[in-house]
Amino acid sequence: MISEADIIRIDQPELTASERMYLPQIVDGMKTTLRHLGKNLLKNTFTVQYPEQKRDLRLQNYRGVHRLNRDEQGRVACVACYMCSTACPAHCIHIEAAESPWPDREKYPAKFDIDELRCIYCGMCEEACPVDAIELTPQFDLVGRTREGMILDKEELLAVFDQTAAMKPRKNPHVTGYAGTGSRSCSCEIPISHVPPSAAGASAP
Amino acid sequence: MPKITIDNQEIECCNGVPVLQAALEAGRDIPHYCYHPGLSVVASCRLCLMEMMMPNPKTQELQWSPKLVPSCQTPVRDGMVVRFDSERVRQSQATCMEFFLLNHPLDCPVCDQAGECHLQDYSFKFGKPESRMVDQKLVNPKKDIGPNTLLYQDRCVMCTRCVRFTDEISGTHELCMVNRGSRTEIDVFPGRPLDNPLQGNVVDICPVGSLLDKDFLFKRRVWELKGTPSICPGCATGCAIRIDHANDKVYRLKPRFNPKVNQWWMCDEGRFGFKYVHNKKRIRSPLVRRGYETLTPSWEDIPEIVRFRLEEHVREKGAAKVAAVLSPFMACEEAWLLARFVREIAPQSVLAMGPVPMEGEDQFFPVGAKGDAVRFTILKEKCPNRRGVEMVLHAAGGDIVTFEQFTERSGKGDFSAAWIVGGYPKPWVDKNTAKMGANFELLVLQDLFVNELMAGAAIVLPSCAWVEREGSFVNAAGLIQSFERAIDPPDTARRDGQYLYEIAGLPGLYTGERVRERMAEALPAFAKAYAAPELPVHAH
Repeated sequence: MISEADIIRIDQPELTASERMYLPQIVDGMKTTLRHLGKNLLKNTFTVQYPEQKRDLRLQNYRGVHRLNRDEQGRVACVACYMCSTACPAHCIHIEAAESPWPDREKYPAKFDIDELRCIYCGMCEEACPVDAIELTPQFDLVGRTREGMILDKEELLAVFDQTAAMKPRKNPHVTGYAGTGSRSCSCEIPISHVPPSAAGASAP
Repeated sequence: MPKITIDNQEIECCNGVPVLQAALEAGRDIPHYCYHPGLSVVASCRLCLMEMMMPNPKTQELQWSPKLVPSCQTPVRDGMVVRFDSERVRQSQATCMEFFLLNHPLDCPVCDQAGECHLQDYSFKFGKPESRMVDQKLVNPKKDIGPNTLLYQDRCVMCTRCVRFTDEISGTHELCMVNRGSRTEIDVFPGRPLDNPLQGNVVDICPVGSLLDKDFLFKRRVWELKGTPSICPGCATGCAIRIDHANDKVYRLKPRFNPKVNQWWMCDEGRFGFKYVHNKKRIRSPLVRRGYETLTPSWEDIPEIVRFRLEEHVREKGAAKVAAVLSPFMACEEAWLLARFVREIAPQSVLAMGPVPMEGEDQFFPVGAKGDAVRFTILKEKCPNRRGVEMVLHAAGGDIVTFEQFTERSGKGDFSAAWIVGGYPKPWVDKNTAKMGANFELLVLQDLFVNELMAGAAIVLPSCAWVEREGSFVNAAGLIQSFERAIDPPDTARRDGQYLYEIAGLPGLYTGERVRERMAEALPAFAKAYAAPELPVHAH
């Protein structure tokens, strides 16, 4: 039970006479509407005749449908570290990790599903990814007939990469995962030239 | 009790413990890898170094020691003055951390230990943000050292906790160090894999992601798991454990420190013995038979149905014809609720103790140890609560029989109604018991898995695994320990405590504590259950 002392009662303030008429508010609102109408009548700046016309997107920044990148050998670049699903505020990424079939890598995603309907396209997954495997693409016209169809699985996400790779190449194409453990090759290390000297080899675990 | 001063703060500590232990107990987070309170001290990681006030040999004047001393190897003395909060100590810690990370692959995103890794935590807290290493790191592939454990050698910090564990606790000496200097490795001897019954503990005490459990490998990231304190039901030892679960699925069990029972350890049998919880063959909903008709009533109707059927039976056949078999897998509270209900319906009823599973012999560790040298025990009695149920039966009084007597008397037709509780993780109904099912006109079966007795049962109630219940177990030493529920029962099953509570006609929701309060009137021992002290994150 909440004690009486903890309850704060708030009364709605009384409306003044002018507020009760509502007219001044309507006039205020109409002013804004008419201003925009006038501007648009003089020169049409804002309307894009979609789908005949398409907006120019900033390809590097636009946050549309996700894609799972492939490395230079065409394998999925993801190492199934769950950083994206941990960072995701909408909990729309579902990963199942498995031991990778390739010798230079510890884990790979056996399953990787993104619920595009749940996603809020914030781009946190892209920020969190340590191997630049997940990226948001400029593709915005995602449609589906069913809710299930809007859950993109690993193959579909890789297909998005194939479609958009030409338009927006992968950020660091040579990064092929966190090898280190379990392999003799050191191909995983981010080449020094791509990291500012102060941060080379730093990255506290 | 000696008093020592750590960073100008006076603390009281136990006699003879190292300064590090005293500091940890006082709540300080002092970095350390090689020190573990349950193992011998080697002082090899050099991370817990401290400054100590010492008399100058010439002037006898007290001043800070010229060299840093390992706090894990320095026992406390009354009036000792030490400090960790100085520039020299911090410098030493940062340099040590830099060395630990020289060959470390920094593969935290794909390492299962990430999130509970001391190397990670200490790097953030005590280490430097960057490494000055310019050479190629040594790469050392992972090794399969046993049926349940993997060794990722290049993540290792050479604390040798695992080697000391197999030497001092399990006494099986499988692990050793090979090579020297920066090429030192942990390894097993050829043809002798790490497969002792306690080997899972080396994964727990490994402060980094070097030793990993194959069973849990890649299953989940540890920060997604929720830990619930519980008691292991594997044997009568009653080890304190933590259930790590997510989305109503148990992923692993970890030991919890309990100075009175298991210290820091648990056995593999208990550790991997939870798999039956997610078995598809579990009974998932209540069943009621009337003639040839089988119904699945809702839980709201169950108390009324059970009470009505039993009362009707007592009216027709008499109270002495009723018997109840309590299982040693029941919590004390559940056993008490059932005994109370059966005695209320039929005061002259017979109460029996279910079969107590015994397997092999008691195992003592280190292997071959006797008496005080024993550090860990696995008992042959493979049930958690024989003593608790016995206490309840004793308090209930009246006609109490063993399971053998019960089988014999039911064969003679002494009982026409019985309430049999199973809840055994392994199949427990043998031929004799299965035959016995036909002797009863009214059989109420409360069990985990579908079995032969079910064919003759008039009412079947699904039992829950211990992770889904709450209550208390009494271990072999007579210690009453409570456990909490971690996950929800599958499908429409309900936790045993809740429906027994409703059947017994008690008001409100079932909680172990609420029932223990009532039990304490007849059994004062249950007024307070023992709870192991909680330890801070890096306590060991």
